[in-house]
Amino acid sequence: MDVFATNFRTVDWIIVCVYICIPVVIGIIVKKYIRQLSDFIVAGRSLKLFIAIATLTGTELGLVTVMYNAELGFKHGLSAFHVGIIETLCILAIGLTGFIVYKLRQLRIMTIPEFYEMRFGRNVRIVGGIILALGGILNMGLFLQAGARFMMGVTGYSNPAGLKLFMSVMLIMVLIYTVMGGMVSVVLNDFMQFIVLSIGMLIGSAFAISKIGWGNLFAAPSIVDSASWFNPVSEGSGFGTLYVIFMVVLTFSAGALWQSGTLRALSAKTPKIAKQLYAWSSVSYLARRVIPMLWGICAFVFVSQTPKLLSAFQGPDSLNSQFGMPIFMAKILPSGFLGLIAAGMFAAFMSTHDSYLLSWSSVITQDIVAPLKKERLSDKGRLLITRICIVCIGLFLLIWGLWFEAPVSLWNYMAVTGTIYLAGAFTVVTAGLYWKKASKTGAKIALYAGLLAILGIGPWTTGENVPFYLTDKFIGVMTFLIAFLGMIIGSLLFPDKSKTEEGKK
Amino acid sequence: MNWELLWKVVLIFTLCGYALLVIIVIFGGARNIVDMLRDLTKPTDQD
Repeated sequence: MDVFATNFRTVDWIIVCVYICIPVVIGIIVKKYIRQLSDFIVAGRSLKLFIAIATLTGTELGLVTVMYNAELGFKHGLSAFHVGIIETLCILAIGLTGFIVYKLRQLRIMTIPEFYEMRFGRNVRIVGGIILALGGILNMGLFLQAGARFMMGVTGYSNPAGLKLFMSVMLIMVLIYTVMGGMVSVVLNDFMQFIVLSIGMLIGSAFAISKIGWGNLFAAPSIVDSASWFNPVSEGSGFGTLYVIFMVVLTFSAGALWQSGTLRALSAKTPKIAKQLYAWSSVSYLARRVIPMLWGICAFVFVSQTPKLLSAFQGPDSLNSQFGMPIFMAKILPSGFLGLIAAGMFAAFMSTHDSYLLSWSSVITQDIVAPLKKERLSDKGRLLITRICIVCIGLFLLIWGLWFEAPVSLWNYMAVTGTIYLAGAFTVVTAGLYWKKASKTGAKIALYAGLLAILGIGPWTTGENVPFYLTDKFIGVMTFLIAFLGMIIGSLLFPDKSKTEEGKK
Repeated sequence: MNWELLWKVVLIFTLCGYALLVIIVIFGGARNIVDMLRDLTKPTDQD
């Protein structure tokens, strides 16, 4: 069996081409609704519950999400499901308690660093904005690469130039409609993509399970260790207890404060809807993890039963494990439906990309450029800077995606780069909202501590026999711990002046 | 701990729960979009 053999035919290409034009048309149509910056960034704070759920899911269920979760399933089997369970419980806890998101929505802010200024002053906002933008842009650095690999796997295009070609075309499409429509077009496209992608994923799962067989799905293939296929804390599973702890801290903080997701809560019509949004979305957070992992697991079972495919994924010149799921889906889905899945995934790629581009560019405008300027920036000026930033970030993604490879796995790369921002942000926002003694110095130390996570994407984190203190999971957990301790010690040793003086009086 | 049973339950719950959520959101979301576009044409941004 040819490794890149596919059921993708001309009719599938037509479906993809027609489908990807729709978001661009929507972007043009809704441009008339964009009158002020809050319309562009938070859709005028007009989102009601169900459309907010659709758009949050549309954002957090991107092609890259499907790719990194499928890769986890492909590499680790059913034990990968633990990440989904942990994330779901964290999102549900945030939804039921309103932890962080309720208060942030009450404050009517548009970005997280806006809160830094409100609570800790302008300097903390600028520092926080720079670290947020750095972590966020690095985090989406491999989106294009993963998206292009999916399209190559599904379409069967194995030419080495395919990666560059797909990356360039996908980037141009997403830039056009994000620059034009802002959050309103993002919301409408997210809704459409939520419908297509969700239905496609459910039907795709039925195809995958029927191909492999329900019984085979829960029987570890003979080429892997049976215990590590099921148990995430067993030796050899590739996860372990430290990894599970890292996932708890990471997914809880990301659930509350990941800018693109939080932006949906900040766009909600009321603080109560922001809270409800999280409780309802816990189901879609579970699905965005478990369904792609299921595809990855099915792909691995399929590969393990096909000698030619198995040899392609083993050895020194083996295919990247991200190719496992798309190559499998390309072989089992019928033509026509494969085009619909590819179009849905491509649309998911766009819906995630647009939100992230919008998030990080609005942070640069609102939290770095505007506070640094002496005179007040007009809404028109801010819109222009935001749009320029979107294009610049897009170009960076193209270059970064062409030469950088995730050292361990795509998800681990995402987790560690996310930690650059989250370790500091989670500590600073939590302390800022719930601890009166939190000070500016403590906040700055916590934010700078997040930069330690950059060590987690170095080449020393990969390979066999890596000492535990150089693994990405250890670096991730320690970054959160240092940020947390930095906030407490910094605040106690260097309290804010005004508060000290008030205490003396 | 019976990991196999746990993952079976998780998988069934995910597929059924998500299918239900999708149906609810499709109908509720369409109504919300109409309201959102109406709100955006109003002169001021009110909470």
